[in-house]
Amino acid sequence: MPGKTPQRNGKEPVENGIRKNKTKDVEMTDDKSSLKGKGKGQPKKGTKEGEDMTVVVPPSKNTKQSSAPPPADADGDVAMDESDKPDDLEVKVDPVTQAITGTWNPLDDRHDDDKARSGSVAMPSSKSSIIHPPYGSTSLHHHALALLLTALATDIKSNFALLDRAVALFDARFSLRALRSISSLRKRLTPDILAQVVSESWPASSPSANVAKQLLAAVGKESTPLGRQPGPEMEIDSEPKAPAKNGKKEKEARDPIPEIDIFLGILAQVHLFDSKQYQQGARFSKYLTDRIQSLNRRTLDSLSAKVYFYYSLFCEQLAPLPPSPQSPIVSIRPTLLAALRTAVLRKDVDTQATVIVLLLRSYLLTSHISQADLLVSHTQFPENAANNQVARFLYYLGRIRAIQLRYTEAHEHLTAATRKAPASSCALGFSQTATKLLLVVELLMGDIPERSTFRQANMEQALHPYFLLVQAVRVGNLEDFETNIADHAETFRRDGTYSLILRLRQNVIKTGIRMMSLSYSRISLRDICIRLHLGSEESAEYIVAKAIRDGVIEATLDRERGFMKSKEVGDVYATREPGEAFHDRIRACLALHDESVKAMRFPMNQHRLELKNAQEAREREREMAKEIQEGDLDEDDLGGDFEGM
Amino acid sequence: MAERTVQQIITQLKGNPKLPYDQASQLLSKAKLALLQLKALTPTAGAPPNLLALARDVYEHGALASIRARNPDAFTRYVSQLQPFYELPATQLKPNPDARNKVTGLYLLLLLTQGRYDIFHSELEGLSTQLGNDGIEADRYLGYPIKLERWLMEGSYDRVWKAMKKGEVPSEEYGVFSQILTSQIRSEIASSSERAYPSLPLSSTKSLLFLESEGAVVEFARQRGWVIRDGQIYFPAAEAEDAEEKDISQMVIENTLGYARELETIV
Repeated sequence: MPGKTPQRNGKEPVENGIRKNKTKDVEMTDDKSSLKGKGKGQPKKGTKEGEDMTVVVPPSKNTKQSSAPPPADADGDVAMDESDKPDDLEVKVDPVTQAITGTWNPLDDRHDDDKARSGSVAMPSSKSSIIHPPYGSTSLHHHALALLLTALATDIKSNFALLDRAVALFDARFSLRALRSISSLRKRLTPDILAQVVSESWPASSPSANVAKQLLAAVGKESTPLGRQPGPEMEIDSEPKAPAKNGKKEKEARDPIPEIDIFLGILAQVHLFDSKQYQQGARFSKYLTDRIQSLNRRTLDSLSAKVYFYYSLFCEQLAPLPPSPQSPIVSIRPTLLAALRTAVLRKDVDTQATVIVLLLRSYLLTSHISQADLLVSHTQFPENAANNQVARFLYYLGRIRAIQLRYTEAHEHLTAATRKAPASSCALGFSQTATKLLLVVELLMGDIPERSTFRQANMEQALHPYFLLVQAVRVGNLEDFETNIADHAETFRRDGTYSLILRLRQNVIKTGIRMMSLSYSRISLRDICIRLHLGSEESAEYIVAKAIRDGVIEATLDRERGFMKSKEVGDVYATREPGEAFHDRIRACLALHDESVKAMRFPMNQHRLELKNAQEAREREREMAKEIQEGDLDEDDLGGDFEGM
Repeated sequence: MAERTVQQIITQLKGNPKLPYDQASQLLSKAKLALLQLKALTPTAGAPPNLLALARDVYEHGALASIRARNPDAFTRYVSQLQPFYELPATQLKPNPDARNKVTGLYLLLLLTQGRYDIFHSELEGLSTQLGNDGIEADRYLGYPIKLERWLMEGSYDRVWKAMKKGEVPSEEYGVFSQILTSQIRSEIASSSERAYPSLPLSSTKSLLFLESEGAVVEFARQRGWVIRDGQIYFPAAEAEDAEEKDISQMVIENTLGYARELETIV
């Protein structure tokens, strides 16, 4: 009992949150293991139990806190705490945990509970009161659900701590970590949860209640009152709670920082997007972007990037859909451009990268290629942008260059894009799309993509039409090529590669000529014309002449007798080719080395700490010197040798 | 008032397309002034559809007139002014696909003759999302430059040549480009011939280069610096081998020095 209140009050929300966040995933298993271990542990504890119980009851308020740490871990390594905490708490917490787990798994639990009851004689009343309500009510399942919701709410709130810290330390890494948790929260989000979190985060009489109201309106829960106290279990064991509640109230008297409300806004956006409420989402996003602009806080930068991202995503889904020039994505371009301008001025890398990518996407969706090209030439994509944004940017850039017939550049960008794409299956769609485009560009450059590209298990299906295409191009069979285009026109059009593929016709012809030049030392133009299904012998002559000029084949034409004569193939190693290949590889290695050096991270302000230390040391020295001096003055007889030091 | 003026000018322009360019451009600038008074020079949100249609007609006539006068800069200007009109939704401005495709097709052809393939393809990409690929190629006006581009890229110059003959061209304005295209493909053929043939008989070069007489062939050969001997054309051999040799050793030295420097910074 005595330890409890101070602990709750003393605990900064920061540590609290982190703890919760970290233990979130382990939680279930921990409880289970404690259950198992309990059989042995119970009898030993016997008499102590009652006392222990009361001490640990507060945690019962919600599951996570069963592993809540002592207050002294301010900035400590969270991961480490997490691993040892459950162990030492386990024994004490047992009955409570069990009570809670009981709601998870009725069967197991009843069994265990029996054991527990028989095991411990001095069962405190508080405990039975925890257990009984769920049992008494038939809606056991509902209670479990409620707990699940609380768990989620806690998960969400745990991110507040990160945001708090990001603001306090001015380190964007913490905001990014909070943003990263969105993907795991995403599937479980419901309007109720969001409303609950909002109402618990804002005090009823908050000056920024308006903000909270907007958030609630976004998820369609306008009626939820603000300033609700966290935790539905409150009513169950209210008695020992009272002091804690007061403490909490004091703490909550202050408003949540803007980062938190924008974070909740992003969650609302995610929810609206997942539930396909695009209209509502676009409206809410508009409000959110306006708010971000009015707030003007540097710590919001990485969050605002996300907000713009969803804003544009919503607009993309609204009718009329993109290819039409009336699509809403056209009308939000000014907003995005303004955001880009501001982001550049403020050196806000995240927003810059995101907005450039969004704009490019928007231009390409409406096929405003020249505008996209102008955007690229007038902006500078931030060098240290997030990897995913770089991958997207490179993909769009590759696309633009491919359309402009600048295949070498396109190839470079697309290769980089496919390599930078996340390796896990979460971004499979991106890798597939980028690979498709890369394949087409490779074909356009006259290369034949490697066979292994088509063998990857997660790509094989999607790339099949392209595989057939490559086969036709490789053999130089114009007929196969045309039928393949006709068969898969729909797929190619959907992938946006159709017009590029149409350009491949000349490559097929070139490859065909090349194959023929390799296999025959002399072949009549007539045969070429028949084999490649060209219109006439005249066409064949012009085409072959062009191929010779473009360096596709080494041959000469004889106009009078109407045949093509191939030259002897030269030795590749006598040319500069091997040297260039070698040079390219070395350059790639060196670039890799440079980039790895650049990628090393040095903690911010570390040098200041050192400076401070140095200064302190100097001060100490000076003090020492002073003391010595004074000492010298006191003891004159020691002599003045010290002054020399 | 101003609206009537514009209408009159348009009927005037429509009535006699053979109008000399300076007269046409006078009429056009008058029309543009009138449009300015009507605040319909560029499409604004609340502009009434009939005014927008008027403005579009003026620009389209201007574009065609400047093509007839062989003034590519003026034409490009008109096309860019037309672009926002073409992007308006059908509810605001009833589209006139025939005139639009004509102007757009001419623009594509202009880009083609100027060798600005990147813009050509960018435009094409935009068109294909707007109209669909089949729609473009089936269209009389738009399909023409697209086919030409494909044949040029492929090297089927004889087809290009056939397509430029009278009767194949979709409208008389397209004929303007024939001359430019002809000289363009001729120089293409010449440059490929230089590499592909060891020598060419004078007589067959005539048909190869689509020239009318052997005299024209001799003239053309002189321009390109070809040597004519005993009724055969010989091409001057390229003499770049030696310089390249030197380049290679230079390059190797530079590269190696570069590696040494980099290694030093690493170690």
